[in-house]
Amino acid sequence: MSLIEVKELSKQYFIAKRQEGMGGAIRSLFHREYLTKIAVEDVSFSIDAGEMVGYIGPNGAGKSTTIKMLTGILVPTSGEVRVGGLIPYQERQKNARQIGVVFGQRSQLWWDLPTIESFELLKQVYFVSDGQYRKNMDIFTEILGLDEFYQTPVRQLSLGQRMRADIAASLLHNPSILFLDEPTIGLDVVAKERMRTFIQEMNKERGITVILTTHDMSDIEKLCKRMILIDQGRVMYDGLLSKVKDHFGKMRILIVDLERDNPQLRVQGAELIREEGLRKWFRFNKEEYTAAQIINRVSEQAEIVDLALDEPEIDAIIRQMYEEGF
Amino acid sequence: MWQTWVSSYRLYFQMVSASIRAQMQYRYAFFMNILGWAMSYAGTAVTMWVMLHSFESIEGWTLWELIFLFALAILSWGVCVLFFFHFRSLDQYIVNGTFDRFLVRPIHPFFHFMAMKFDIGAFGQLLFSVLALSIAFWKLELSWGFVKWAVLFGAVMGGALIQGGILVLISAMAFWTTRSERFYWVVMFPTKSMMNFPLTLYPRLLQWFFIFIVPFAFVNYLPALFLLEKSHPSYSPLWGTLSPFVGLIFFWFCFRIWMAGLNRYKSTGS
Repeated sequence: MSLIEVKELSKQYFIAKRQEGMGGAIRSLFHREYLTKIAVEDVSFSIDAGEMVGYIGPNGAGKSTTIKMLTGILVPTSGEVRVGGLIPYQERQKNARQIGVVFGQRSQLWWDLPTIESFELLKQVYFVSDGQYRKNMDIFTEILGLDEFYQTPVRQLSLGQRMRADIAASLLHNPSILFLDEPTIGLDVVAKERMRTFIQEMNKERGITVILTTHDMSDIEKLCKRMILIDQGRVMYDGLLSKVKDHFGKMRILIVDLERDNPQLRVQGAELIREEGLRKWFRFNKEEYTAAQIINRVSEQAEIVDLALDEPEIDAIIRQMYEEGF
Repeated sequence: MWQTWVSSYRLYFQMVSASIRAQMQYRYAFFMNILGWAMSYAGTAVTMWVMLHSFESIEGWTLWELIFLFALAILSWGVCVLFFFHFRSLDQYIVNGTFDRFLVRPIHPFFHFMAMKFDIGAFGQLLFSVLALSIAFWKLELSWGFVKWAVLFGAVMGGALIQGGILVLISAMAFWTTRSERFYWVVMFPTKSMMNFPLTLYPRLLQWFFIFIVPFAFVNYLPALFLLEKSHPSYSPLWGTLSPFVGLIFFWFCFRIWMAGLNRYKSTGS
């Protein structure tokens, strides 16, 4: 049996419908109408010990809802979840001992206290032995440079520092599974790299299973062999990342600002996928044409003021996967 | 079992001491808070004094008896604030999503949330009430045996549990409505002001309500009847000795509702 088993998992929310105006507000005190929102629908996958899996999708796709069901925060509407043989929502506290969780947007540290004190408190919360605590702190300090800001209150840390402290805190009790919800959001390139190296190391050295949700394709590219793509609550793709990359990774997007609009603008080998006034987006296959060729062809027909080259973002890839099927 | 209790106990004190250190980071706010509360209660006491100057007594209670009644309520409120005052702002934790962290840790979420803060702002209440009680004690020329001291202690504990129970109940509202702080100002604040005066001042139905439904009468009025040897036309002063038991039962009831709310939260995640 796999370490994490998810079978036909669904989650629906009931959201109170807002009614217009003062009359509506009063009416809704006594009688509310509810809308059903399906956050996750019929999701199945299994993850083996030691895997690093990217769980990706656009905003509101159901990523966080799935993670919340795996960590025991939410009870599923239907379906099965097993994490290390436990049913998270029934044995939440037991499950909490075998998992580490990092929510990129929210810290789990004590806001007003020097950073080191959060570690000491978590040591107590998880009943971590002195020996294990010292060993872990030595390793984390070495890789993440925590000692730079041990005495700084968490609220004064930079985002990069705070994320480093948060991920170290989530691993203090030697969990076998690590859930990372947007661990690199808002970080600069150097800080991102540092986080990724650390995650990789923990996976390699300790065999920690990592489930990572992110917007950032480069996180996945650096860390995961496998990705599960979810959109509108459903699994769109579950398999090797390399397969997706071979297929979609060769696309590039050229963004140009023109001096004057040219409605007749047609570029051979590139597709106009978006336009906003004088700004145009062209998608082309980098194996067929070079960026220089495409730029040349555009500039033959219109004066270019500014340009940028982009890789397709995850949203664009998903859209393309929809259109072409996968 | 015994070991879990001991380690939970230690954990509670560690978290509480962390909370105190966190609050001490804002020293100015801390002292102003204490001063503010003490001044505001002193203001209420002065109002009583002014009123009693023209009325002599209210419902047969003299000035210093009333001060005693008032200070007893503030004393148990102070103890309650230490442990439970932050429950009213559970809605903030739920709305910004930080409540989830209590659910990914291997300890009981109620215990965890309770241990998150130990509100030392309560020293304002404690300072004022101990001072006011001592003066009233001296002015009323009281001399108590063991039983009365025990009843006073029981009233403070019971009162803290009853008012803590209400705070827990108010906080549980956040699980259903994502609001709790405003319920505090609508429900708790006016009710507490009512308790500053003898219960007989209010209609019979309201008296009944504050004894049997939301047992605020056990916070100060009923124990004060016993301690000051006064009487009520229908309820015996001996009822005042029951405060700690009423407090325990009421608090347990509120705790169950909070847990029911938590279960709802887990299925809606609102």
